[in-house]
Amino acid sequence: MATDQRVPVTVLTGFLGSGKTTLLNRILTENHGKRIAVIENEFGEVGVDQELVIGAEEEIFEMNNGCICCTVRGDLIRILGNLMKRRDKFDYILVETTGMADPGPVAQTFFVDDEMQQKLTLDGIVTLVDAKHVWQHIDDSDEVKEQIAFADVLILNKIDLVTPAEVEKLKARVHSMNSAAKIYTAQDAVIGMDAVLNVGGFNLDRAMEVDPKFMEPEYPFEWGGVYDLPAGKHRFTLLDGPDPAMEVALFPTPGGLKDVEMQAVLAFSGEPEEVAKQSTWEFDVPTAGRYALFTQHHPDEFEARVEGFTPLETHEYKPDHEHDEEVSSVGITTPGDLDQKKFQRWLSNLLQTQGPDIFRMKGVLSMQGLAQRFVFQGVHMLFDGRPDRDWKPGERKNQLIFIGRNLDREKLTEGFRTCLA
Amino acid sequence: MPGLVSKPQELRSRWSARIGDCVQSLGWSHDGRLLAAASISGPIHVFDAQSGLEIVSFPGHGFGASSLSWHPREPTFASAGQDGKLRIWDLNRPGECLALEAGAAWADRVAWSPSGAYLASAAGRKLRVWTPAGEMLRDYPAHSSTIADIAWRPNTDELSSASYGQVQFWSPERDEPLKKFEWKGSMLRLAWSPNGQALATGNQDSTVHFWFVQTGKDLQMWGYPAKIRELAWDAKSRYLATGGSSSIVVWDCSGKGPANTKPLTLQFHDKLLSQLTFQPRGPLLASGCGGGIVALWHVGRKDQALAVEWLDDAVSQLVWSPDEKTLAAGDESGIIRLFQAPNP
Repeated sequence: MATDQRVPVTVLTGFLGSGKTTLLNRILTENHGKRIAVIENEFGEVGVDQELVIGAEEEIFEMNNGCICCTVRGDLIRILGNLMKRRDKFDYILVETTGMADPGPVAQTFFVDDEMQQKLTLDGIVTLVDAKHVWQHIDDSDEVKEQIAFADVLILNKIDLVTPAEVEKLKARVHSMNSAAKIYTAQDAVIGMDAVLNVGGFNLDRAMEVDPKFMEPEYPFEWGGVYDLPAGKHRFTLLDGPDPAMEVALFPTPGGLKDVEMQAVLAFSGEPEEVAKQSTWEFDVPTAGRYALFTQHHPDEFEARVEGFTPLETHEYKPDHEHDEEVSSVGITTPGDLDQKKFQRWLSNLLQTQGPDIFRMKGVLSMQGLAQRFVFQGVHMLFDGRPDRDWKPGERKNQLIFIGRNLDREKLTEGFRTCLA
Repeated sequence: MPGLVSKPQELRSRWSARIGDCVQSLGWSHDGRLLAAASISGPIHVFDAQSGLEIVSFPGHGFGASSLSWHPREPTFASAGQDGKLRIWDLNRPGECLALEAGAAWADRVAWSPSGAYLASAAGRKLRVWTPAGEMLRDYPAHSSTIADIAWRPNTDELSSASYGQVQFWSPERDEPLKKFEWKGSMLRLAWSPNGQALATGNQDSTVHFWFVQTGKDLQMWGYPAKIRELAWDAKSRYLATGGSSSIVVWDCSGKGPANTKPLTLQFHDKLLSQLTFQPRGPLLASGCGGGIVALWHVGRKDQALAVEWLDDAVSQLVWSPDEKTLAAGDESGIIRLFQAPNP
């Protein structure tokens, strides 16, 4: 395959104050020997002489092309079209968006304009998150949610202003919204350039190289702890909490939590113990030993504890019901070959009806009769897919992920399964 | 029928010159003696059309020139650029330049009215009209989005502008538009039929929109693979040649217009078209593409190219001389070449 001559573009998003300008200045002053052009929306903040900084006024156009309807950034098409004709070529282009920008139109611009496609390649969307102040917006700002959901790279910045526990909480939260993004933490936007440039977020060949953990199973409990308990009666007490009650389950385990996680999943899908807030669950331990307790919510939310004992080992599980009901990721992993026609029909119908709510999707698919992996990815209704390398023996399976708003996990999984040959 | 396919002849070259960076805009003086070339990085060079010698070069525009327009009767041209300026250059006084504020950071378009009495500029959302002496006659209220193109209606003092969602018509006499045509889409180029009766726009969404100006009746042509920035009308206002593809698609707009007709398609180019222009009075169409091919066609007579030539890089400009005997071509590597028109 010929080497890609196209100039890579990174889109930098993030709320005002999240550190975009600091990061931009850092990238520009770093001694990387690259000629970088910057297109910024908020004027006059970046000031580096040897680089080219262009101010742009965000102009969003609607494009209705047959059955595909999307929005693009008209100003970027103009500016980049001009830039790419110049003889003094650039090695890299950075596009900074306004704090309140929806990353959708920027990303789509690189998919629908032939001139952009020919000369430029969208490398990735990098979103900066202010680790302290993001909590003020994360529940009710569509822009914050979209910026997180669209990202290939999430940089949780200003972690010096929060506790390590708060960083973990934020990590879990953004991961629940966008489980395909790489998450980094930073102070003063100090981050390795390779975390930001050439991330290959939109590179089909690298579409699924992101953290494979996003495919980790979903657990119906948020927390587990291992206790050494003597035989006899014990008390698990809940004080006040955000819900009327929570479900719990207890198992003897000679090893650690890992050994009984699957048992716990089964128990939670059956009839687990339900403990109301401001009440106590009394349980019997027949023989002294090691026990694992799984709780539906984090015990801290109810100031819950096993009276007289502290856990030897704890683990926080990714909740299956997201805190953010609205924006989430749905990952599907399934063995078997797909019927290409059925899959195309299902996907085009899905994009027709839910395109505006599906921000990003990526996947590696096993198509019936195709020796190669079929890799694809999309932004809203726009979609790009093709065969890449051959499957290795025993490797064939389907992996895909949707990131979006109001996604129905069961319906998506079920719909996808109907496409199997 | 291979026996009928004649091999296109080679275009006869007259001279060539280099300006160092992508030829962004090319223009002939009214008498055909001078050729001005603006480079994308800013400087503007003026050549003697006969000898190919550079007569003068101007600093042009800091950070890039975007378009230039010769006065229809004087040895004067105006240019716009990314310094936000509109500049008027007088060849009789090459040391001086009139610099005017176009109203935004990037000035994109400049056009003299057919009478030469007015100069129009477009920068961002600002449309302005000036006298030849550089006095601002009209600063129209800002458009609702960036102005993509402007054009004077042939033989009139009526100006038209294209932006997202509308084409508007303006008089230098008043602030309010005379009329507007609305259509939801991003229009990139405007082209008036020479008789001033029809108007076409080339659009970002790979369509061509067509209006009968008198009635406002409109049509849309679709099915193009790419956005359309190339539009050209022939002198008789019959043929509208359109780009957006590697084939030239030509609509016959005579009679009731192109509705429900099948267009002609002319094929020779190997990449997306980048330039289309008809002779000002004669029948020849010149086309250029991203692959560097320049081709000449006698539209309606023959579906094969009459003559072809390859430039060093993507064709960025094609302009006929006023006597239409010479075609000036510019490419993205900054080379200008002049070709002699073959007999049709």
